[in-house]
Order: sequence, then structure tokens, then C-alpha cells
Amino acid sequence: MATKITVQSFVDNLPWLLLIALVAVFTGINPRFIGAISLANIFTAAAPLLCLSLGATFVIVTGAIDLSVGAIVSASCVIYGLTFPVLGNWSVLAALGFGFVAGSLNGLVFTWLKIPSFMVTLAAAALWKSMALIMVGGGAKGIPLELWKGLRWSDVSLGIIPLLFVIALAVFALYYFVQSKTALGRAIFAVGASERAARMFGLRVNSTKFWVFALSGVGAALGGALYSITLKTSLATVGDPVTLLAIAAVVIGGTPLTGGKGSVLRTLLGALLVVIIQNGLNTAAVDPYWQQIVFGAFTILAVYLNSEKGGRNLIVK
Amino acid sequence: MEDVLFRIRNIGKEYPGTVALAGIDLDVRRGEIVGLVGENGAGKSTLLRIISCVEQPTTGSMEMHGKPFRGKNLLDANHMGVGMVFQEQSLMKNLSVAQNIYLGRERGFRRFLFIDWRKMNAAGSVALASLGMKSLSPARKVLELDFAARQMVEIAKVLNIVGDKTDGCLILLDEPTSVLNDAEIRTLFEKMRMITDQGNSIIFVSHRLSEVIEISDRIYVFKDGRQTALVDKKDANEDLLYEKMVGRGTSGEYFKVSSQTDPGDIIILEARNLGLKGFFKDVSFRLRKGEVLGICGVVGSGKEEVCSVLCGDDSADVGQILLDGKERHFADPSEALSAGILSVPKERREEGIIGILSVAENISLSSMKAISRHRVVSGRERTNRALDWIRKLNIKASGPKVSVDTLSGGNAQKVVFARVICGENRVVILNHPTRGVDVGAKEDIYQLIREITEKGIGVVLLGDTLDETISLSSRLLVMKDGLVVAEMESSRDNKPSQIDVVRYMM
Repeated sequence: MATKITVQSFVDNLPWLLLIALVAVFTGINPRFIGAISLANIFTAAAPLLCLSLGATFVIVTGAIDLSVGAIVSASCVIYGLTFPVLGNWSVLAALGFGFVAGSLNGLVFTWLKIPSFMVTLAAAALWKSMALIMVGGGAKGIPLELWKGLRWSDVSLGIIPLLFVIALAVFALYYFVQSKTALGRAIFAVGASERAARMFGLRVNSTKFWVFALSGVGAALGGALYSITLKTSLATVGDPVTLLAIAAVVIGGTPLTGGKGSVLRTLLGALLVVIIQNGLNTAAVDPYWQQIVFGAFTILAVYLNSEKGGRNLIVK
Repeated sequence: MEDVLFRIRNIGKEYPGTVALAGIDLDVRRGEIVGLVGENGAGKSTLLRIISCVEQPTTGSMEMHGKPFRGKNLLDANHMGVGMVFQEQSLMKNLSVAQNIYLGRERGFRRFLFIDWRKMNAAGSVALASLGMKSLSPARKVLELDFAARQMVEIAKVLNIVGDKTDGCLILLDEPTSVLNDAEIRTLFEKMRMITDQGNSIIFVSHRLSEVIEISDRIYVFKDGRQTALVDKKDANEDLLYEKMVGRGTSGEYFKVSSQTDPGDIIILEARNLGLKGFFKDVSFRLRKGEVLGICGVVGSGKEEVCSVLCGDDSADVGQILLDGKERHFADPSEALSAGILSVPKERREEGIIGILSVAENISLSSMKAISRHRVVSGRERTNRALDWIRKLNIKASGPKVSVDTLSGGNAQKVVFARVICGENRVVILNHPTRGVDVGAKEDIYQLIREITEKGIGVVLLGDTLDETISLSSRLLVMKDGLVVAEMESSRDNKPSQIDVVRYMM
């Protein structure tokens, strides 16, 4: 019994230990890793990833999965870029509105037609990816140079913490509040732990599922908008690697895929870890083509460590 | 010395907190049909599972053909000559009859890497013919067969697995007649005689006493996991079996009968001609303020489904549910909850608690409105309420933050009760509220039921035992085959006898 507890608590605290270890290793490889510029880069890169992983966390806590995150990011990035010349910084509302619609659609199809979420969101991913490509008419379309001054606010930094990361942290605080302080947040865990019991408890299971997908859509859309702001481009392929990164951030943070457990607080850590690994791989000059392999492997390892080894609770949602 | 095929000595089975079987002695002679009767939960199915090695006994021993009988699983039992026909049909509907009979034994029909279907079908024909079912084609899909034919296929399959023993095998039939009509039951009985005439023996379990008396040579009666009687066919009659099944009632003090309420005339919940196709119909009743309405009936009587409809888990096809005289429809339990109806579900681990969440969380989840303002939950309020209930119900937990998984059955059930009654609910549905709960916690729960009715909550009760239902209720509905067959008063000092109730149930 005693050893079991130690193993479990070791796994629970693994993200922290990993964070420290990785920073140490990468600093060892390249002392500039811990420098101000490098840190600012990490935070800037972490901002959109954090936003889009927050909603994904809720979905995963209910035991479902959202594979359309990346495509929504792409579409939202395109929408932000294309509407920016007209709407200016209000484009973010267009992007968020789109995210809400896309997420809601996932939620409605998932709950009404009772189709497994991976299938619903996989199909939705194809839809939004195509939409993004069609809207931009190919790969990418830059925001006109003369409009860049409207985006200059995004370069502001509070010390070494960029404003964009502060925004992401504010969004994180919002999701954390929803998770821990609202009836919806509590229902998310109940539904994820036992959908049958949640139903018999008198909780609104379908409405809960709907909202996690809607919130996932909104989070992904905000992530897409942040990509558009940093890249100053409508890039229809920006979301391609993102779905895996989002799931990696959630599970490396320590939220199991089986549902009912986890926290966006863990995802904050997970998102930072993912970015640090990414950054470290760049610092160590690992070919970007190889990096997806690393994340795939990390994700599998994290899922394995977080899963119950008893063979029950297999994920079929 | 009689020719005993299977011998059971002092078999007992304990689960954490409950004793399912104790001190069972049972002999099955060669060529004999042994009947097994008892109320739900009397231990019949447990015994069959032990004989078929699906479960291991805690005490005692078994012998077959005079040799020790011990196995780790159903396959071992099959090898030794014991076959079980399960209560829920276990055939693969999308496969053919022959494929089902030889499921898992296809090896015998292999030619190179392939299976010789023709050979399997031929063997299937022989297997079916031995039960007199020459007309059934072994190539037909089980899906296309009616229940009776499926039952026969199931028996043919089991017989085929264990029937190659020259010195006789033992077939266990758990409620084989529940889905059959009269003519089909006749055929089944003929087949059963055919099987025993070939030197095999059968243990037959059924709720229908007349059937058991008709087909069995000897009848064992079980009550609360103990054997209360062994009756020969010639001595058996329904009254005698009833009496042995229900035994003497427990004292009224145990069930706090003295604090049973006198419900007034205010009707909270009314059902009018409720029906759910295939389960029950024309169910009508009135539940008054502060009343416990007990529903009695065997498994399959439709009482469970009535319960599901009342708590919104299922929707009735016809009829009305009226709450305070207003008609209501519940699409799911959350709508029933907002109307003030909530249930203590039957399956505690799957439906009543969420094991990985904390005690406080479990208690609060059904009364989110009460502990939140504008959908924002007050953590302090939640903890305080949980502490309150832990104290009030004497829940043995080291604190409100521990997960419910760590609690014993009785304490977990108290958590379920705390959740169900802590809101402003007016009707509470108790579906087996004391199932798998130790004696001490049972008494606490009985006390609690008395207290909530005192406060005016209406209770619909499906008791774990008949004794419990009668003792706790102030009125009883008796259901049989989906219909309400009797309604009885059950006031403090005029409780109907269990035998009277059972007579209606069976």
C-alpha cells in the first residue's frame, strides 16, 4: 500500500519535476535558455497554446475528446486576419463568435445524435480546415503592413512577461473559476467520472457536454486569434500540429483521458512544458520534422502514466 | 444409498458486509429435477453461480460422482459436467444457431485454416435433434428465432458442451420460463424430462411456484441465504412453500413501526394509467404527504420500471404523472429533480455515488441551486452542509474531502441519502435503499425514512425484502406481470402478512 501511494504521488507530481529537470537540462545545453529573451519567447509561444488547451481540458475531464481544436485554430486565425482590415482589434469578437458556433455545433451533434466525440470532432476538423483554406484562397495571406501599427499593443511586455501571456493567464483564471466555482464546473467532473450516476443525480448531462465543447471552441478560437496577432498573417495551416499539442499539454499536465479527474491548473503546467520541450528541441537544433515524433511519444507516455493499469475504464467515447 | 450425482455440503458465501449464503446442504440425484425457490435475494442465483464455478464459495465443499468438485471458472465446471443456462440469454444474436452451439469450440471443425461450416451445421442438427428439435435449421441466425426457440438453443448448447459424460451431467436452469408462454413452457418441460431420462439431472429455479411443483421431484426452499425446507413433490403445495419462503416477520421495533406516520389527505404525487410497453400498464396510485408507498413484486413484475418512470430516467408511453394535481412530463432525471422528485437508485456504485469524488461533492451535487448563487458555488457552504450531514447521519468518514470510494457500503449509502434529502425534494423514491448495507446502517436508514416522512416528504419504496417493504410502508401496491394486482393498507397496527402479499406476487 505504502509503495502504491508513493508511485501515485510521484506520477501526480511528475509535471513539476519534469519542468524543473527540463529547464536544468536545456540550460545545461545552452546557458542562454534561461535568459530573458528566451523566457519571453517561451511565454509568447505558450499564450495561444494555453488558451486552446483550457477548453480541451474540460472536454477531456468529461471523458470525451475534441480533435477539432487545431482546425478551429486555423479557421479562427484566418477569420481574425481577414476581418482585421475592417474590424481592427474587434476582429477578436468575430473569431470568438466563430469559435462558439463551431464548438456548439460539436456539442449539439455529439449530444443529439449520440455519435462518439472523436468522430464528431474529426469530421468537424475536416470541415473547418477546408473552410480556412477556402477563405484564405490557399496557404496564407498576410495582414497588410500599414495596419501593423494596430497590433503594436501585442508587443508590450510587463518585465519579461509579454502582454499576450498575461491575457492567456486571465483566460486561464476564467476557466479555473468555471472549473472550481460554478455548478457547470462541478457537473463536468461528475459527468466525466460517471455519466450514469450524474444522470441519476439529476444533473443536466447533455447541457454539460454542450458547454464543454462550446468552451473548447471559444478557447481554440482565442488561440487562433493570438496566432494571427503574433504571426500577423491569416495562416490556414497554423492549426495542423496544434490538436496533438493541445492534447499533449492536457495529458502531460496530468489530466487522464478516462475523465472525472484533472484540472486546468495542470494544463497551465502542461502547456508550459510543451513549449519548453519545443523550445529546447529548437535550442538543441532538433529538426522541426522530428519534433512531432517527440510530442507523439511524450503524449503516449503521459497517457500511459495517467491511466489505470487495471484494464477497466478504457476510453470508448 | 441413493444415487447422488451432485452433493453440496455446508456451502457459504460472504460478501463484504453481507452473508449471501450460509450452511447450504443439497443433494441432486441422478435423473432428478430439483426445484429451488425463494424470494429475491434469498441466494438461489448465488448458489447456481457457485455450482457453475463462476463464483467461489467462502466455506463448504461440493462433490460430483463422489469426487471433489472444484473449479476456477465456468469452463472448468463444463469440463466436469456442469452446465448453466443463464437468466439473461447469452447467445450471440448475429450468429447462426450452430455457430452459437459451438462458440469457442470451432477448433473441432477446422480444415486447414478454415472452418468447415457444413460439418458444423451437420453436428448442430444432431445436437438439436437430441432435444427433439429437428425442424430448426442450424444455419438460421439466432436473431430470427423467438424467445422460446432461443431458450432451446441455449439448452442444446449447454447440453452439447457437458452432455458427453456417460455417467450423467448437471444442468442449471435459472428462470428459464420467465420469457416463455404456456405452450412454450410445456415444450420446455418435455425437453427437461427428455434430458433427465437420459440419466442427467437438472436444478430448476423459477418464481412461479406452480411450475416448480409440477416439474420438480424435490424442492429446496431458501430464505435469506439459508435453506428453510426440503419438500418432496408429493407433499408440496403452494401454501407450504410460501410459508417456508417468507418465514416469520422481523419485529416491528426493528423497523420503527411505532413512528410510522398517519398520512393526511394531501396528495402530492398521482399516477394515472401509466404504461410502458413491454414492462407495465394501467398503473395508477396516489402518494400522500408523509406517506411511504411500498411496491412489491418479483423481478420482472414491472416495479423497477415504474420507479424509473417516476424519477424521470424513463418516459411512460401512456398515462399521466401529476404532481400537486398538475400534469408533469420528465424528459430526464434533472427535470424530475427540478420538480422535487429524486431517487436513491438501486445500483449504488454505478448510479448512487460518484466514487472518485469527495463526500462533500457527492452530497451537494443534487442540490446545486441551494449552495450556489447565480450558478456560482460556495465552497464553504458545501463543506458546512457536508459536515452537518456527516454528523447528523453518523457517517463514518475521516472528513468531507475524502473520496466516497473509501467508505463502507453502509456509509456510502448514507451519503446517497444525504444527497437525496438535503435538497427541497418533496417526493423521494427509494429503490432498494438497504441493499448491501450492514445491520447497523440499516437501522439508521429506517430511522431516517421515518424522520423524512414526519417532515412531509412522500416516499415510494421498493424494499430489499418483503418484510422491509411491508414494515416500512403505510400502503402497498402489489405488482405482477406488469399490472397492479392488489393495493393494501399497511397501517401501524394492521400490517398484512407476508404470505398474503406473496400470494398476489406469484
